[in-house]
Amino acid sequence: MSNQRQASSASQTPHLSPAELSYLYTSLSLPRAPIRPDGRSPTQFRPLSAESNILPGTNGSARIGFADGTQAIVGVKAEVERTNLATDTLASQSDVNDSEEHQGSAAVSGHGSWVQMSIEIPGFRDDDALPVFLSEMMRESLVGSVTEGSGKADAADAAEMAGGLKGRLVINKRWHWRLYIDVLLLSQPLSYPLPLLSLTTHLALLSTKLPKLKSQGEEDPFFDDDWAVAEYLYPRISSQKTKLPSQYVRPPVTLLVISVGENVIFDPNREEIAVADAVLAISLTRDSEAGSLKLLSIRTIDPPSRLTQPAVPNSENVNMLGAPAPTEDIAVLNPVTGEEEVPGVWRPRRGGIKRSVIANMVQTVLKKGGVGEDVLEGLEGVEVE
Amino acid sequence: MAITILPPVVEDLGLRRTDYDESMSDDDSDVEMGGVDISGASRPSKRPRLGDKKIGEGIVIPGEVITADTQYMRSWHLYEPFVHFNHCYCRWNIPKDKQIDVRYPLRARYQPEIGDLVVGRIVEVQGKRWKVDVAAPLLAQLPLSAINLPGGILRRRTSADELQIRTFFSEGDLVVAEVQSVHQDGSASLHTRSLKYGKLRNGVFLAVTGTGGNGASNSSTKGGIGSGSSGADTSNGGGGGVVRSRRQVWTIDAHNGGGQVDVILGVNGYIWISKHADGAEAASSTTESVSITRMEEMVSSSIYSSQNDEIPPQTRREIARLAQCIRVLVQGGQRVDEDTLMATYEASGQVDLEVGDDDYDEDGAHEGRGYLEGAKARRILELAMQLK
Repeated sequence: MSNQRQASSASQTPHLSPAELSYLYTSLSLPRAPIRPDGRSPTQFRPLSAESNILPGTNGSARIGFADGTQAIVGVKAEVERTNLATDTLASQSDVNDSEEHQGSAAVSGHGSWVQMSIEIPGFRDDDALPVFLSEMMRESLVGSVTEGSGKADAADAAEMAGGLKGRLVINKRWHWRLYIDVLLLSQPLSYPLPLLSLTTHLALLSTKLPKLKSQGEEDPFFDDDWAVAEYLYPRISSQKTKLPSQYVRPPVTLLVISVGENVIFDPNREEIAVADAVLAISLTRDSEAGSLKLLSIRTIDPPSRLTQPAVPNSENVNMLGAPAPTEDIAVLNPVTGEEEVPGVWRPRRGGIKRSVIANMVQTVLKKGGVGEDVLEGLEGVEVE
Repeated sequence: MAITILPPVVEDLGLRRTDYDESMSDDDSDVEMGGVDISGASRPSKRPRLGDKKIGEGIVIPGEVITADTQYMRSWHLYEPFVHFNHCYCRWNIPKDKQIDVRYPLRARYQPEIGDLVVGRIVEVQGKRWKVDVAAPLLAQLPLSAINLPGGILRRRTSADELQIRTFFSEGDLVVAEVQSVHQDGSASLHTRSLKYGKLRNGVFLAVTGTGGNGASNSSTKGGIGSGSSGADTSNGGGGGVVRSRRQVWTIDAHNGGGQVDVILGVNGYIWISKHADGAEAASSTTESVSITRMEEMVSSSIYSSQNDEIPPQTRREIARLAQCIRVLVQGGQRVDEDTLMATYEASGQVDLEVGDDDYDEDGAHEGRGYLEGAKARRILELAMQLK
């Protein structure tokens, strides 16, 4: 029971005393200028170390180490597979768009099940809630990031990346690539491991290369032996002049964002997650449309602050009864939560988040020169040899 | 730029590896003495033998044979013929008297000793005692009979006290206490029978390594370490963290209008940094007026409070800065004590000024300048070592 509770909550909640929680919460919710326990600004990430192409036997791989000592390794392996169009897919497809493609659109636009993701977290079985939830959350944004341009894929250049990753995996009508993404968290999950795993997966996919196809059309696929001419799964921006729309498409990144009071805080550490009003996982990707960012999903994650222990105000503390008349602890209405609170006394958060806070969050991530752009640029800057 | 991505740092494992490489090519008489002399940067091409006078120290792992030579005396942690058996990685060396001395573990858990000031977290509440996490191999216990009752009443603990044991401390609470006794199995018994001890509030907690030993200084003189040896020892790199020292608790006059800040360095590596509350202030923060005779009662009753006082943002900022200074010290492999922490705190202020001059006009310069652990850490550490 307790294990399950931990798995569904945003982290292995550290045991914090009510006084600590109250101190942290008040510091983080100071209007406009939250004071984080490690002095970072609200949008600042802890420095992380990253490298890619570290596993020789994979198509692409990466390792990222966070400042708190947690590390993850991701390996991407690609395999050619025969496209087996199940009859029911065919039937349903032909029902829907009978006039357009009788061949079954899965053969053209790809299928989500072609990407397999497995996550291994020490201390968890592979059918525990946390790894399953995480892998599905990351796979979903990966295969779900279909570009809007898939309809107008007539431009031969853009066709390569039409339909997002799924479309890229199609070789021809009878063959496709199958992608195995294996994520391995090397250390105990100190805090919610989602951002670490997502960033590492992003980096691994960026470095993933597929062998160059020699055969044409509907032939059985035949590949170039030379690994040097292999093509990136996600095409690079080759030159400033010929920026093809497909070259902007990037694998999605999922960022963990918390809100404390009115403040929005990125890359929270364990203690910060413990006092958060709301914990959100925001997935974003770079779209083919002139390299703008696109929001893929926002998911709320159970904030651990609701499971914490409340503090006892001095006025109700049995051990303070001997003390002469305590000052009147006037309960103040917290404008954010709408509850009456005595300042300095920790109350477990009930969750819930305001529209304006979410809007602020999304704007901070997506705006030009915002956090999302910084993160994607930073990851692209990691040398992919 | 919100995010900094660094190239991976290759950890300095080369020394150990060359040992093995050389032992392969060496004659077989040496193979058993792995781990001799890793400190020399310019090593002789031939491995130093124990017969030579050159060997001084090295790192051993449990079960490793240091030497089979009988001219040395055995010290603790060693079996005849000089097999290391302790449970942790240790440095060892040979002082003047030819006794092989295995000392200061590179990294280990805290070993409680009587009289240590520790910060601990309550993890379990039992009928008559609390179980406290003090970073030791075993949980320490804090018996109900070893705490002060509110109001300083002296009486035998009754079953009524046992029933309301959670009103004193409950799970997750932080306490500062003293080790009263150490049991046979190494677990500690704590007490909080002083106004200095009790529940912690108004601040932040951070945990660093604290082996309790004196870092790099001699293990046979635990407890009473002079400052004279510290200069040489830190360069020796006996591992960072909190060590036993003269003062574990002191008050800092914070910069930038931060007021006074208390620092409690638990010997076990748990640290509490909080807004300063002296007796009178603490009393007046909870009551309107207090007579001087009842002051003691007041203070002692507020030790079970879990309500924070009002703390201004300036103080919070300086508390965060102090916490970072400690992290910078620990990451730099330096010991954490009053001298080093104060020097680092001064240095962090100076570095801030330097950086402020450099990119004054840059817009993003102000953003995130409070973060000291990244690129600034090295500079701060350098300055701090000069100041010290």
